[in-house]
Amino acid sequence: MALARVRRFTFTYPGAERPAVCDLSLELEQGEVIALLGPSGSGKSTLLRALAGLVPHFHGGRFEGLVEVGERDTRRARPADLAGRVATVFQDPEDQVVMGRVENEVAFGLENLGTAPEEIWPRTQASLAAVGAAHLASRRTAELSGGELQRVCLASALALGPELLLLDEPTSQLDPDAAEQFLARIRGSGAAVLLAEQRTGRALALADRVLFLEAGRLLLDATREGALSWLAEHRPGYLPPARAANGRAPATGEILCRAEAVEFAYRRGRPILGGVDLELRRGEVVVLEGPNGSGKTTLAKLAAGLLRPDTGRVVRRASAGYLSQDPGRYLVRERALDEVALAVGDRERARRALELVGLGPLADRHPRDLSSGERERLGFAAVAVAEPELLVLDEPTRGIDPERKEAIAQWLFAYAAGGRGALVATHDRSFPADRRITLTGA
Amino acid sequence: MRLAAAPAAALLGATAATALLAERLAAVAVLATLLLVVCLRAPAQRRTPYLFGALSSGLGVFLLSPFLAAVGYHVLWSGPTVPVLGKLDVTEEELRIAALNGLRLTAVALAFTAYALLVDHDRLVAAAGFARRSALAVALATRLVPSLERDGAGLAEAVRGRGVPITGVRGRARLVPPLVAGSLERAASLAEAMEARGFGRAGHTRSPGAPLTRWDRLALVIAVVLVPLGALWL
Repeated sequence: MALARVRRFTFTYPGAERPAVCDLSLELEQGEVIALLGPSGSGKSTLLRALAGLVPHFHGGRFEGLVEVGERDTRRARPADLAGRVATVFQDPEDQVVMGRVENEVAFGLENLGTAPEEIWPRTQASLAAVGAAHLASRRTAELSGGELQRVCLASALALGPELLLLDEPTSQLDPDAAEQFLARIRGSGAAVLLAEQRTGRALALADRVLFLEAGRLLLDATREGALSWLAEHRPGYLPPARAANGRAPATGEILCRAEAVEFAYRRGRPILGGVDLELRRGEVVVLEGPNGSGKTTLAKLAAGLLRPDTGRVVRRASAGYLSQDPGRYLVRERALDEVALAVGDRERARRALELVGLGPLADRHPRDLSSGERERLGFAAVAVAEPELLVLDEPTRGIDPERKEAIAQWLFAYAAGGRGALVATHDRSFPADRRITLTGA
Repeated sequence: MRLAAAPAAALLGATAATALLAERLAAVAVLATLLLVVCLRAPAQRRTPYLFGALSSGLGVFLLSPFLAAVGYHVLWSGPTVPVLGKLDVTEEELRIAALNGLRLTAVALAFTAYALLVDHDRLVAAAGFARRSALAVALATRLVPSLERDGAGLAEAVRGRGVPITGVRGRARLVPPLVAGSLERAASLAEAMEARGFGRAGHTRSPGAPLTRWDRLALVIAVVLVPLGALWL
């Protein structure tokens, strides 16, 4: 007996011109781990939401076909009724945390499901321990890092003892080692797992079965081995990437930015950077690597001039632009074109920048009506349009599909070749660079 | 020693009420000092804006109100006559009242600071034991304040990162609409996540609170005794 069945499922969001998912059929079995791959906007999140009952109950829209979880038709069962049997971890942990303290957050779902009061704290502690977050139990959720919050969200989902675990890019804020530990814990949960991921290497290593969606259609439903062959033939960009090596010969251009013995702390007594040096020349693409909390973002902000070092000095001989993490959240204008024109006040330049990231036809749309992937690209265009001589990018490939990531990398190398420089802080070990600098924290 | 949420909130509320009711300057000063010591247990980065607000508003009352009041006969300084305000003089009695009111305001603001930064709001609303949805709304509103702070800082940084300076009140005011729009989006996402976690389902339960310790019971006794003490003797 299948745990979940999807039959000829087609779904169109309210006001959308075309369906997000089209004529999709599949079955999920108990305990299997399934990687869900596909480009941004291919319908992965919609499929996850349909299995949680959030589509159509929360979003509205036109629903055709059948989605059943444990023989319950999701059109009739509300998401709250499916909760427990199904648990979901969404992409952005900040958007799903309800309570002020970690242990209360994990207990929240158990309380909703009517768990016996004497079972709530033991199950809370056990699930926090299972994701390696027992030490966070009494911490305030507002004080946790993105990576810590993601672990708390997973603990909240696992505490419910779900049969089906739906994960929408759950490792997007974790460094590679933490992401591998995270996924290993999922594997050990015993639940059937449907895992949507853009960093395909980890997902493919974990999965028993692989689905590939494109433009709302299911192009592939195969075992991992079958999927690897199919991907090699049809979508090679999705194959597990090798760790990127350093690129070209060392650059000899003028130094654009130099940091000497830089120290920085957000809180007194808790240094993030301790005596870090950095040098970036014209023509270079340099990657900053390191685990969560090692100071990549801080050094990137120092290089861009958004922070000042406590000690040491940062000398920059050029204009700098900085693309923050999650740029799609920080949009200020009401038209995509105006958003990009904000930095330069020139709509023609803005239009060209929009076309560069494939958003030319959406110039008149409200930025918040764009999909999350489109918003990320809009944020990128809004920084790149000013053509700063030093471009600093913080996790530019988060939530970006492999083919788009390759396009960004190629664009960056071309940008640097024009006599400018780029500094990229990323967890993505496959992102190409001329040089890689690994931070280990203060 | 860490107090449970309800006794801690009761003690903070009683201390603030006592500071408002007490008439002796020294008594209010002691209460404000005790509250300041409690507030210093919060992380420095979070407590700084709260403490700045609490101390500067109390100081503001102390510095300004003697010029606006007309009480007492022991003149310490005699100033010019200003239209609307009248004669600007400062008396000994005005200074005493200004100090008392300044300390009262500081004590109340410090009590709120301790409540905001140190009390477990989740447990406090759970301890209410009724109106779970309303209590949860309060908990969510409390939790969303730091999210809003972070979003505001992130938005300003994103705009500065594009080379667009943010200057003056008008520059910051322009960020308010997108900040509100972002908060509404976040609220919608949160509602979706809550529904996916079974919120609104019939038959919910409550996680048991820890039993009250002797410190909790002592705090409750002090809270009950402190208010009449302040009203009658302090």
